[in-house]
Amino acid sequence: MPPENKRKLWEERLDAALGVAASAILFALMLITFADVVSRYLFNWPLRGAFEATELMLLVLIFAGLPLVSHADEHVTMDFIDRVLTPRATVALVRAVHALCAAVMFFLAWQVWIKANRIAGYGDTTDVLRIPVGPFVYFMALMIGLTGLVHVLRVFVPGTLRASQATT
Amino acid sequence: MAEALTGLLAMMVLAFLRIPIALSMGIVGIVGYAYMRDWNWAVAFATAQTKIYETGRNYTLSVIPLFILMGNFVTRAGMSQELFRTAYTFIGHLRGGLAMATILGCAGFGAICGSSIATAATFAKVAYPSMKKFGYADYLSTGAIAAGGTLGILIPPSTIMVIYGIMTETNIGKLFAAGILPGILATVLLCLAVQYITWRDPKAGPPGERMSWRERFTTLEGLWAFAAVGVVVIGVAKLGWLDADDAAVIGAFIVFGLALVYKGVASVIALFTLVMGGIYGGVFTAIEGAAVGAFGAMMFAIARRTLNWKTLYASLVESARTTSMLFLILIGALMFAEFVNITTMPGELRDLVKRFELHPILVVAAIMTIYVILGTAMEELSMILLTVPLFFPLIVHMGLDPVWFGILIVCVVEIGLISPPVGMNLFVLSTLLPQVPTSTVFRGVMPFVFVDCIRLAILVAFPIISTWLPSMMK
Repeated sequence: MPPENKRKLWEERLDAALGVAASAILFALMLITFADVVSRYLFNWPLRGAFEATELMLLVLIFAGLPLVSHADEHVTMDFIDRVLTPRATVALVRAVHALCAAVMFFLAWQVWIKANRIAGYGDTTDVLRIPVGPFVYFMALMIGLTGLVHVLRVFVPGTLRASQATT
Repeated sequence: MAEALTGLLAMMVLAFLRIPIALSMGIVGIVGYAYMRDWNWAVAFATAQTKIYETGRNYTLSVIPLFILMGNFVTRAGMSQELFRTAYTFIGHLRGGLAMATILGCAGFGAICGSSIATAATFAKVAYPSMKKFGYADYLSTGAIAAGGTLGILIPPSTIMVIYGIMTETNIGKLFAAGILPGILATVLLCLAVQYITWRDPKAGPPGERMSWRERFTTLEGLWAFAAVGVVVIGVAKLGWLDADDAAVIGAFIVFGLALVYKGVASVIALFTLVMGGIYGGVFTAIEGAAVGAFGAMMFAIARRTLNWKTLYASLVESARTTSMLFLILIGALMFAEFVNITTMPGELRDLVKRFELHPILVVAAIMTIYVILGTAMEELSMILLTVPLFFPLIVHMGLDPVWFGILIVCVVEIGLISPPVGMNLFVLSTLLPQVPTSTVFRGVMPFVFVDCIRLAILVAFPIISTWLPSMMK
């Protein structure tokens, strides 16, 4: 298999894996919150630790989705400048921006990793279920780092050039 | 003041260079924070770490993905078709009737979906072909769809209200309740705009077919069943046979069951009443209401056989991506706000108001004018996230109601979404309806932008329209 196709295959696999993970968590988030309401009111039996589980699931959901957003080029961007620049200059600018994004993401990943070290060092756990928080913060750092890698990829293999806006 | 303004300018320059808005805000926030602390980078980095971690691990914020998911499910369930159909059978025979039916349909869709763009996009698919068939001018049909779409964020649930509520720690349930009356006002004004346009140019919006009352009421089938459930639930709770909370949850299950049988507009009304009534009555928190709403919307999609594994996955993963995208912006904005808060700007704005003894309403009017102007050229969500930290302390200082200000913010976002040259709803229409020239879309929306500005003025002048319903809340 040519290396180009191999890379695409890996991209697709990773995209699918994160997509499935994020979807499953969002689905579970909905079901747990709904089940919590029902069981609390009808049976006077709130789900133990639903609050904490929700918090941690939201964390995983957000950061597992981050590489997907970068991969799909869905970050909110303004594209006025395209009208002034030649198409070639636009492509060059987009590459430079991706390089900058990668740098910022790697930097943030490093910062969150420091935070994770500290939290894991304290041995922080959640109040009720006693779930250790450290691994989740390491996960955040890893996902931000992975997002950085996606931007590195985009420096060499441009994605779409369209600007996207927030879905308000 | 100079530091904050320099920061704003720097952020605009970075964003102009195609750097994602979230990162532009975050970078300026971190650098600015370090600058304000005499280039103490360690403090700035520590703040960034904390902001990322705290935003990621925050129970309250789970309301965002759940409402987004609800919106995605109802969009896929194809409810816009039924809403438009019902509105059409009632008023389609009037002059400009289809355009007004579009606006009413959007209002109904807005009651179960919190996104302006989703509302505009779905009605571009549903209402535009009908209007084309009846010979509507493109400028009227696209204008009505673009403007109607913005009702998605004014009529609760609303993504913008959730984000404003989180940023300013304002009660989201109260914001939702506050949006209902302005939403009705907006719907009426938009219909009046259609009347004005078709009065000037009757050929733009000829009447459709007149339906019999019998046909009209068949589109509402099941309304009596849902109404009966509502009466029974409230009755049982009032008589004390059941706890109000228990009654509401049992009512929810009956509504979900009935929605499997009656697939028309009545089920939309029922879902709205369930979610908003539950939040308003204090049975659910906004987060729980969002989960109940998303679950109900999923049942609707199943009932309409539009949900299979593939579309379920698509709805979920799309919602997840939107969530991540919004959170990154939120983190960037919070970092930026952190920087602005330690500059002298909020204090100096306060002094300015005090020194000139400006009347609060005058200040609010000035802020709204700034927003409407900024909104023509800026992306609305980042505009709000960047500027609310500047203006909100001032609003609180002047003793104004944060809920009311929130509704005004939603209104300026709506205007921004449809005001050329940069308006997301207009872009969505241009993309979905490539056969309509962008200039036609821009021209068609102007009367609607105008009535939206009038509505904004009315809401500024009469805060009671926004604050009356939330003031009755428990």
